[in-house]
Amino acid sequence: MKHAPAEILREYGPFPGVDGVHGVSFDGNLVWFATGERLNALDPETGETMRLLDVTADAGTAFDGTYLYQIAETVIRKIDRETGDVIGSIPAPGNGGDSGLAWAEGSLWVGQHRDRKIHQVDPETGEVLRTLQSERFVTGVTWIEGEFWHGTWQDDQSDLRRIDPQTGEVLAILDMPPGTGVSGLESDGRGRFFCGGGNSGTVRVVRRPGTPPRS
Amino acid sequence: MDSLITAAARALAAGEPLAALKRVALRDDAPALALRGLAMAQLGDLARARELLRAATRAFGPKEPVARARCQVAEAEIALVLRDLGRPMQMLDTARTMLEAHGDRTNAAHAGYLDARRLLLIGRLDQAERMLDGLDTDALPPTSRAGYWLVAAGIAMRRIRTQPAKAAIDQAARAARETGIPSLAVEVDRASQALAAPAARLTGRNGEQLLPLAEVEAVLASDALIVDACRNAVRAGPTVIPLVSRPVLFALARVLAEAWPGDAARETLLIRAFGARHADESHRARLRVEIGRLRVAIRPLAGLTATKRGFALEPRDAGSVAILLPPEEDDHAEVLALLADGEAWSSSALALALGVSSRTVQRALDALAEGGKVESFGRGRACRWIARKEPGFPTSLLLPAPTITG
Repeated sequence: MKHAPAEILREYGPFPGVDGVHGVSFDGNLVWFATGERLNALDPETGETMRLLDVTADAGTAFDGTYLYQIAETVIRKIDRETGDVIGSIPAPGNGGDSGLAWAEGSLWVGQHRDRKIHQVDPETGEVLRTLQSERFVTGVTWIEGEFWHGTWQDDQSDLRRIDPQTGEVLAILDMPPGTGVSGLESDGRGRFFCGGGNSGTVRVVRRPGTPPRS
Repeated sequence: MDSLITAAARALAAGEPLAALKRVALRDDAPALALRGLAMAQLGDLARARELLRAATRAFGPKEPVARARCQVAEAEIALVLRDLGRPMQMLDTARTMLEAHGDRTNAAHAGYLDARRLLLIGRLDQAERMLDGLDTDALPPTSRAGYWLVAAGIAMRRIRTQPAKAAIDQAARAARETGIPSLAVEVDRASQALAAPAARLTGRNGEQLLPLAEVEAVLASDALIVDACRNAVRAGPTVIPLVSRPVLFALARVLAEAWPGDAARETLLIRAFGARHADESHRARLRVEIGRLRVAIRPLAGLTATKRGFALEPRDAGSVAILLPPEEDDHAEVLALLADGEAWSSSALALALGVSSRTVQRALDALAEGGKVESFGRGRACRWIARKEPGFPTSLLLPAPTITG
């Protein structure tokens, strides 16, 4: 397993009126982040907030190419990102202990925070298809070019770690600097991770290892 | 944080403890216990709140020291309101150090502010002031800023410095307005009233008058020789001769001041200072000894001359002599002074604050209760005492809820 320091490329925020960032997603153009009572859409090039949706947004956020998924209390809601309408909802596998959400290949992947678990869930029924065990509190999950990554935040320390989605084995760890929490994780599909910064109210960009430095 | 914890913390921060409880009522994991504790505190059930926070502290355990320290700070705040100045308050310092080391400036500052309140409460003004000075005020949560200024005002008032006290109360009022929390505004009002209320009685040649703090300050700054029965000292201008540990000497000084510019008879001095019924030769000998001691003690400010009947006070530079008394003279003024904060105290906390034995405090409380000045509720260890007067000390319970679980 390789340990390396996480390289932070950019930091957005803190945003006015935002007490905490609880989930992050990327729709190809905009970075969506959950701040309790709202979903915010950020242009990663300019750093400007472009959209606001009034939906409860307590934890993980994901995007399936058409719809946004958002954890609110004990459910995962499917949301139209144009109108903010809730299309449907399924029970969250952690029954409210959920933190972190990702979409990949027809499944939702849901982190269960203090239980250190990651569930693969059927997005139609909410049925749990598979469960992985992590060593640390899970605060965000994402897929990037076939690699499965999740964020951890425990005892004031955070890292991004790549695990084997079959066995849960840890393959690489990017240590976040001290005092830098990860409360949500998403990739841009290439060389960047977007990380929620928890109660710092920020969103940070971390370079994916093995990709060229960029700003 | 997970989704329900986020939702519950949001409800709590919005002042909706029932909405918060609804979300975590059935959960027993550490962050849920902590949030339930904070919600119960907001609902006023401090005993249950404390149990829950203790359970949360245990559940977080040594592997999550920061979250644990936050729970300890919350528990200390409850203990402070309950005037339980024992173990929970001792944990506060450790918790603050831990939070500082982990960069949690907000909760570290809140812990420091609580400790300053504790120090003011037990009369350690220098330490309280040092604690306030060392605080990272920018990091202080807005809800504890008003309390911070009320502590500063309390220190200034105890030191009889009216202008700084007034300025601090103005700051407290501004901070309270910014939070929009009505109970904070009420507390600031109470402090204003305390500042304007009679703080002492002055007796001298011109009779007796009640003085607010500002006038007490003016009297102390004048060139009069003052026998100060509020603090048991003899003073003139900047020179203060404390006689707290020498009650007989102070009693003699007071009788002499009452008689000034005349002299005080030996019999009067004996009766007032020693409680002697009649004056025999051994009493006279003892009086001579004690007068000799008083003469040495107050030499910088006044002389003592023997007269036919007894003794007379002769101020060196002062133009007049006055006696400063508490607004109401009482045998147990120091107990009443602590209870004047309007909170319910245990007798052991009073004993700790006053540095006397529990028995001594209990006797004082019984006497005061007989006079209708204090009342008690609860039994045994849970017994608490309150004064029947208005308070003047921050009492709010404003735990920084959203940050407890990080």
